Amino acid sequence: MAALDQKSPNVLLQNLCCKITGKSEADVAHQFQYAVRVIGSNYAPTIERDEFLVSEKIKKELLKQRREADAALFSELHRKLQTQGVLKHRWSILYLLLSLCEDPRKPSNRVCSYGALLTQARDVHSTPFYYARPQSLPLSYPERSATAHNSSMATSGISSMGVFSINGPGPTPPSLLTGPGPQAVGESMRGSRLAWTLPVSSSPSGAAAAPRPPSGPSSSPAPKLPQRQRRDEDGTEIGEAALVRDILYVFQGIDGKFIKMCSPENCYKIDSKVPLCKSLRDTSSRLAELGWLHNKIRKYTDSHSLDRAFGLVGQSFCAALHQELKEYYRLLSVLHAQLQVEDDQGVNMSVDSSLTLRRLLVWTYDPKVRLKTLAALVDYCQDLHLTIETCVQFFVASDPTVKTDRLWHDKYSLRKSMIPAFITMDQARKVLLIGKSINFLHQVCHDRTPPGKIMPASKSTDSPKDASVLFTDLEGAFQSKIDAAYFETSKYLLDVLNKNYQLLEHLQAMRRYVLLGQGDFIRHLMDLLKPELARAATTLYQHNLTGILETAVRATNAQFDSPEILKRLDVRLLEVSPGDTGWDVFSLDYHVEGPIATVFTRECMSHYLRVFNFLWRAKRMEYILTDIWKGQMCNAKLLKSMPELSGVLHQCHVLASEMVHFIHQMQYYITFEVLECSWDELWNKVQQAQDLDHIIAAHDVFLDSIISRCLLDVNNRPLLNQLRAVFDQIIEFQNAQDTLYRSALEELQLRIQFEDKKRQREEMGEWGVTAEQEAEENRRVQEFKDTIPKMCSQLRLLTHFYQGIVQEFLRLLMSDESLQFLSFRLDFNEHYKARDPRLRPSLGATRGRRSANI
Amino acid sequence: MASPASANMNAVRETMDVLLEISRLLNTGLDMESLSICVRLCEQGINPEALSSVIKELRKASDSLKASENGTSQG
Repeated sequence: MAALDQKSPNVLLQNLCCKITGKSEADVAHQFQYAVRVIGSNYAPTIERDEFLVSEKIKKELLKQRREADAALFSELHRKLQTQGVLKHRWSILYLLLSLCEDPRKPSNRVCSYGALLTQARDVHSTPFYYARPQSLPLSYPERSATAHNSSMATSGISSMGVFSINGPGPTPPSLLTGPGPQAVGESMRGSRLAWTLPVSSSPSGAAAAPRPPSGPSSSPAPKLPQRQRRDEDGTEIGEAALVRDILYVFQGIDGKFIKMCSPENCYKIDSKVPLCKSLRDTSSRLAELGWLHNKIRKYTDSHSLDRAFGLVGQSFCAALHQELKEYYRLLSVLHAQLQVEDDQGVNMSVDSSLTLRRLLVWTYDPKVRLKTLAALVDYCQDLHLTIETCVQFFVASDPTVKTDRLWHDKYSLRKSMIPAFITMDQARKVLLIGKSINFLHQVCHDRTPPGKIMPASKSTDSPKDASVLFTDLEGAFQSKIDAAYFETSKYLLDVLNKNYQLLEHLQAMRRYVLLGQGDFIRHLMDLLKPELARAATTLYQHNLTGILETAVRATNAQFDSPEILKRLDVRLLEVSPGDTGWDVFSLDYHVEGPIATVFTRECMSHYLRVFNFLWRAKRMEYILTDIWKGQMCNAKLLKSMPELSGVLHQCHVLASEMVHFIHQMQYYITFEVLECSWDELWNKVQQAQDLDHIIAAHDVFLDSIISRCLLDVNNRPLLNQLRAVFDQIIEFQNAQDTLYRSALEELQLRIQFEDKKRQREEMGEWGVTAEQEAEENRRVQEFKDTIPKMCSQLRLLTHFYQGIVQEFLRLLMSDESLQFLSFRLDFNEHYKARDPRLRPSLGATRGRRSANI
Repeated sequence: MASPASANMNAVRETMDVLLEISRLLNTGLDMESLSICVRLCEQGINPEALSSVIKELRKASDSLKASENGTSQG
């Protein structure tokens, strides 16, 4: 409540004590201590924090008292409370009021004790701390002997208290209640005791989370049980009642008066000095075993519930254990309550006791079995703190700095050193994969499907029974669980990738566009781009090119592709070096984002780019040569009338056909032997892939093989340079041929014009041609013819150059075994080999590399 | 700043009134001051079960103390 000053709970409690008892602060010190203790030990409420339930209970209580009008009034008030919204913990105060409720018709004592009984039962239940001693704290001490039954309330109500550090205000007298009271009280205050800190934070989580170190049994001296007047009267023979009481304490792990924990032997031993008949002794020891089991489990959960390194499942295991323990405590509290009721009613227990050791045996049989299983589990867990998720957390190092697009690759790597010995690398890898997949799904795919759906099998470790199955058949079950989880996860991941993100479609699209698979589109694009790209690179504008790209898409079969794919297609201009034409800087780009970026990483994309450039260039050569051929065909007829050109033209033809052959073979090799084969392999692997890692690996292999066989990797740099040189020559040739044709055609044109004019004039009756004109014409023709040898020699040079390069290329090719196919294809009729003796394989040829490219 | 604070105060006062009504209905025997302390404790997260047992104990203690005092004073 914001308006009230924030006093600490300690101060508030003290005020409360003063108010209720009507005494000053100094006098209420003892009560205050008591209050502090109770509150501190019952930190967590055991009831449901359900406001509705509490209000219903209140109404029922009122109706029971035949106060219907009041019940209606209460509903009204409750509603008002809810609308005001000032209180944060309405259920809490309502519950408090309910428990303080007193039926005006019944005597106050009754109600009190009933309520107190319940509270005590819950007290016992909700304070499962493993420590010293039940402290009985009767509040009013002077006349303890007279009102013995009062102590009953105090005893079991505070039967478990911890050893904590002092932090509260007020005095902490070591013997709080060593007043001049009777021995009953005095003897009860043995043992270590300290005040403890009140919980000031308002975060009441389960008791397991309370960060208080439990004290071992050894640190506390063995105090005595608070004596009851009645027990003292039992005489030398220890009655069953006392034993029962002892046993009940032992069940909680607290040493009883007669049954104590014997640390060296780690078992409960009945004090041999105590006179007990044998049967009772036996029964007691059997019952004490339960206490021992309880201790074990308690120790385990206490020591591990806070261990952060334990991992999620370890913690959930602890939580499950804790649940079981709570059940156990519930039973104990019921037993305790039984005891209390009998105490209250002053029944002589040794005769009529409803709580004999035998009965205890019977009632505790079932819990004993459960505790035994739990203890066995605990044993296993001491050795093997593992389930799938824990594995992931132990030895998978997570790098939180990595962004989501690199998530798959970098974020998780196996911390090899932490892998326990019995898990093979394969299993570890699978676990890693599962963890990665789940995380990948969560973060990158934004897939919130809980892993429970994906892996129904492996999530069963929450229930201890399944966990025990897991651990008892460790090797086999573990492996099969891992495998099952692995398959499920991977399959799910692949499904998600394929359905939601169309991984396979994109793979195909890459093939079609970046790897020039869509022939008609590429051809058309090139047609459209030719005039643009012939310009200098610096004059190109991206949006122009993109527009052309779109035109090409619309005009060809590419338009039938899904828009998802088409929108990722884009033009990218590479960096411009001086002297570049458009051809050198143009490239296609395919945008990838989101989860598919895991397969198409940035490196992959840069590889694709290089391959694209290579293929594009080769295609361009093909294109050029087609043009040349076209030109030749067209012009051959035209230039028939100029026989002086026939030599040159012949040379051109020959050279052109050589080039065509070469490029043809290259293209064939690239398209069929490199691209198609690798693609086929990739596609098969992708279809059969079991998890994302497989796909990524297959894809990488694909790219690697393409790159190496397209001569793009580092080893083949000289070969690539040669090839580039070949391409350059082809361009040169094209230029030369163009010039030739141009001048030839021009000459042709002029001659035709001349002839035409001559004819015209003849038709008009004049001399066809004057002498000067004739002379002029002849001179020109002569000039032209003079240029022919120049052209011839130029061409011859070109040819020679070209052929030299090709030879060199082939020679380099020979020395590389993996490219044998190419060399074979290029030189299938040994035309080159005939020319160059070096191309004939020599036995001791050590030139070049023999290393495989892959 | 005054008006929201005072509005808050009003709301708080109203809530306390309502709670007092309920407390009287249920015959808890808590007066306004004790009730407000209890409310504050509960809001800070104290377990109401424990608190109620403390209160009962305190009451019993004070009752028996008073009884003994009366007895001794009379005796």
